[in-house]
Amino acid sequence: MLELAQASTYAASIDNLILLVAVLVGVWFFLAEGVFFWLIWKFRAKPGEKTQYLTGKEKHIKKWITIPHALVLVCDVFIVIGAVRVWYNVKQQLPEPDSTIRIIGQQWAWTFQHPGADNELDTADDIFTVNDLHVEVEKTYHFQLQSRDVLHSFSVPVFRLKQDAIPGRSIMGWFTPTETGEHDVQCAEICGIGHGVMAARIHIEDANTHAAWISSASAATTP
Amino acid sequence: MMVRLPNAGKALLPLLIMGVAACDATPPPVGMVRGAELFETCAPCHGDAGVGNPDIAAPAIAGLPQWYVEEQLRGFQNEYRGDHAGDLPGLRMRPMAVSLTRDGDVESVSQYVASLDAAYPASTLHGNAGAGAASYVVCVACHGEDGLGNPDLHAPPIVQLDDWYLLNQLRNFKSGARGARPDDTWGQTMRVNSLALTDEAMQDVIAYVQTLR
Repeated sequence: MLELAQASTYAASIDNLILLVAVLVGVWFFLAEGVFFWLIWKFRAKPGEKTQYLTGKEKHIKKWITIPHALVLVCDVFIVIGAVRVWYNVKQQLPEPDSTIRIIGQQWAWTFQHPGADNELDTADDIFTVNDLHVEVEKTYHFQLQSRDVLHSFSVPVFRLKQDAIPGRSIMGWFTPTETGEHDVQCAEICGIGHGVMAARIHIEDANTHAAWISSASAATTP
Repeated sequence: MMVRLPNAGKALLPLLIMGVAACDATPPPVGMVRGAELFETCAPCHGDAGVGNPDIAAPAIAGLPQWYVEEQLRGFQNEYRGDHAGDLPGLRMRPMAVSLTRDGDVESVSQYVASLDAAYPASTLHGNAGAGAASYVVCVACHGEDGLGNPDLHAPPIVQLDDWYLLNQLRNFKSGARGARPDDTWGQTMRVNSLALTDEAMQDVIAYVQTLR
């Protein structure tokens, strides 16, 4: 059984939504294909048997369309309710942050601006890194996502997080990491010839490790 | 036991063989042909003739010595170039260098770049060459009186580089965006020499370098 790591508070809800869509659509897909091929077999050409002309108005024929149509619409209601709930919880909510970071995409690297020991952005002790994002587990982060040049998309697969970065805009989002580890960050929007190698890493650390990293990185140069 | 292929299988067999041949993992030969092939990745920014594009801060690289291009590509690969948040063009170049993963690729593309005719881009800055001549005394030891560089000291020929590129690099050295990593021995040497230069002095010395052509 394939297991995908989930490392944010909302990763499971997004996975469950995708599973719900896959199951409902999948059931109907296989059912429809089964009926389709059964009908092809049942009404195949036979010697001496004349082809029937159907107007499409016969009730006993129409029910093969109307009944599944109604049932599919019922399934759609479940999908819409699930999708709206996830959208509301992930995109319409902005929980109080423990910290705020700035993420800047450019062809073809990610620059991360971390608040230093004062936990305030745009102060002298900010820590700038390229392609390495450091966060603390179980802390809620707001991120300000920006682009210096073209469209990019900040994607952290283990968070099930993907957000476009648009030049001229600062887009706010959030995440709360749930387990320590080191994972991939990628660009999910084709952004030029180096798009495929625009990769970074996110380091999710416990409180002590993160504090030690802040101390050691505070001496880093700022741009 | 013989396995009989159905007719369709027989028809597909040549395609299968061609597919396997296409997946041949033998690395391509090192040299100009491979270099020209790899340079197609560089051309969108540096131009087909390697003359650069100031609008996107891509310098003229045509005709630079092979050893220097190789060294810079390895610098990008080893993260002592293009790994600083303030070095935006460097950040763009680094993944391009990292994508040269096959043995011999760095040598091949460097050989190709070296084979192109040097561009000697026109001046864009307005420094005082007379004042810059005095500052250049410090540079002579490595880059030479003629600015043609010295491979033994890992000093490139600076006379054929864009003046705006030289200014950016001097600023990078001074700010620590370049030459601050302990494993970048030659970059550290250059950084020390850049620290005393003001922005005006940088433009002056670059103006003097342009007169050496």
